[in-house]
Amino acid sequence: MSPSPEAPQIPQPLLRNLIRMLRTPEAIDTNFEILAIEVFKFQFTHNIPYQNYCITHGRNPENINHWHEIPRVSTDAFKVISHPLITHSPASTLRTFHTSGTTGEIRGQHHFPSLELYKQAILSSWQRLSLAQPTTLVFLTPHPEHAPHSSLSYMMGVLAEHYAEAQIIWAISEDGTLDLDKIEPLAELTSPVAILGTAITFLHLFDSISIPLPSGSFAMETGGYKGTKRQLEKAELYALFSEKLGLKPDCVINEYSMTELSSQFYTRGLNQPHTAHSWTRTRVIDPRTGTDAAAGESGHLAIYDLANLYSVSAIQTQDIAIAGEDNSFTLLGRDPTALPRGCSRSADQALG
Amino acid sequence: MTTTQERIQLLGEACRHRITRELLGEISETELTDWVSAELGHADALDIFHPHGNLSSKAFAPSSILHIVSGNTPHAALQSLLRGLVIGSNNTIKLPSLGLPDFEKWILTLPAELSRLVNCHSELTDDILHPADVVIATGSDTTIADIHSRLLPQQRFIPHGHKVSIGIVTEDFYNAARLAAKDCSLHNQRGCLSPHAIYVQGDTLHFGEILAQEMDNYCREDPPQPLSLSEAGAIQNLRQTTQFIAANDPLTHLWQSEGNLHWTVILEPDSTLKLSCLNRCIYVKPLPAKITTASLGPESQYLSTIALHPFSTVAAESFSHLPAHRICPLGSSQQPDLFWHHDGIAPLASLIKWKDIG
Repeated sequence: MSPSPEAPQIPQPLLRNLIRMLRTPEAIDTNFEILAIEVFKFQFTHNIPYQNYCITHGRNPENINHWHEIPRVSTDAFKVISHPLITHSPASTLRTFHTSGTTGEIRGQHHFPSLELYKQAILSSWQRLSLAQPTTLVFLTPHPEHAPHSSLSYMMGVLAEHYAEAQIIWAISEDGTLDLDKIEPLAELTSPVAILGTAITFLHLFDSISIPLPSGSFAMETGGYKGTKRQLEKAELYALFSEKLGLKPDCVINEYSMTELSSQFYTRGLNQPHTAHSWTRTRVIDPRTGTDAAAGESGHLAIYDLANLYSVSAIQTQDIAIAGEDNSFTLLGRDPTALPRGCSRSADQALG
Repeated sequence: MTTTQERIQLLGEACRHRITRELLGEISETELTDWVSAELGHADALDIFHPHGNLSSKAFAPSSILHIVSGNTPHAALQSLLRGLVIGSNNTIKLPSLGLPDFEKWILTLPAELSRLVNCHSELTDDILHPADVVIATGSDTTIADIHSRLLPQQRFIPHGHKVSIGIVTEDFYNAARLAAKDCSLHNQRGCLSPHAIYVQGDTLHFGEILAQEMDNYCREDPPQPLSLSEAGAIQNLRQTTQFIAANDPLTHLWQSEGNLHWTVILEPDSTLKLSCLNRCIYVKPLPAKITTASLGPESQYLSTIALHPFSTVAAESFSHLPAHRICPLGSSQQPDLFWHHDGIAPLASLIKWKDIG
């Protein structure tokens, strides 16, 4: 029986190879090169808006020989709702994640016909951190059921499933407010706690509580402050983690990702770069020349994320970074001229 | 203490300086006199009492004015200081972090009688802010709100916040494109009088092609200033996103300078006013049959100037229902007349207070 036109066009061999790569992060570089071009061929063939874009750049599967040559789309291209960046029919979309934004602002959309690869990327990235097993996890984000279009909530949900043995606390109520009644009992705990949320939600939390967490605890914060009412240097934020939760900087992890990606990049403590994975590559582009920024110089971060199989793997961000070794990067922040975006912003709007 | 006429004589000389002529155009002593007279009723309104109904009234300039000027608009800074000097106030200038080289050079050319009325600072401390009787601020809405929150209750505040300008072209495309290229390129499009979009009646694609050529021509005569990383990133992002849209929508077109970021022209089929990322990036859009705030969208509430071609008073009045405070000929949007009401405010009359007898 031939497949229905509405059936997801998931390329099973390519998907299997990608999942194998995601499960073995030490995979050698040649695998990335081969798979990056395979993914480009798939996306060029099935993602027609992207194909049209590539054609205007004179690019097609016949003349791409290196992952550097794969045309990058801006994150703003995900806001072009009339031409969604999808490799499948719209009817096959299983889940759509939206970027945050104010009322009336156009939000980016990232459509997925399957979440298997996304889920594997979340778990593989997380497991590379080699964190101690917490007995309690507190999520300072809405429960995925209350925020079905939030990629951050989805990621938190995947982590909650991963720690099925632990006590799970969702501390943001359905109306988006921080429920301190769920946080205060943490003071009674004696075994390790993990607390995960956006930087801006942590700031709201620190306005109200001071609870030294048990030894072995850690926190994960994500998102910046652009477009919110509050600003804080990372060192100042991490000083608050120490003061309010008793967590030294090495016990605080920063996550960098965005709705337009499927993979996450982590760094631990202060003054450390974000590390890449075997299935991702990064470049720092000097927008004045359109070429790679000189060593040690800042530019705009470009990410090649093979877990973005169902949209576009090559994403040009407006985040400013300095390239490091082995595809790592030191994030300097959101370009001030770019429109506000990010998870922290939606959290701030909810928290007031 | 100098009389208004004495100050005008000194300012007339300063206005003949190259920098003034480049930034504000030609300004004579006669025009300065007429300007004071038009705003205050008499050219010597600041010097003697004049009949005012049953009273006699005299204008008094504020002792001190603080001008908080922005880095992207040297002409606006010069205009603001000219106003403060012509009425004889002491003028404190809060300069932007990177300074304003031409403006600062001009201050150094002032004669002693005027230069003693001017002092510049690079930090906005309360010691500078609070002694001012009047505070004039140019900047983003965030900057304006921040300054406003720091004022004392008795201080008069004249804000010039976020504004956006447009061009409207109804015929004569070749001349219109040349004039539009000038308005969109001057000061690297960084002022609130710089058009973000040109609304065109007729063949927008044809106009876009001509405008692209004229932007290129203008660039050869007056290349843009170097771009910061952020400014270049904003242009690259705009171009990349537009390339994506244009690849999928035959009604969207992109023209851009080759091998550099000197200029960008984007044709979009819908009429909603969008903010350009500046630095010579301009939208071309169809002029709606009925141009209203509704047809232009929410940005139209910030309209400052409409630059029109061909210009006539009758044609200009047909657009006067829009929120813009100024409708001028295309090609002069960046050089407002000395007499203009800045953001709808009479710039001299708004500074002074009156003393009545009778």
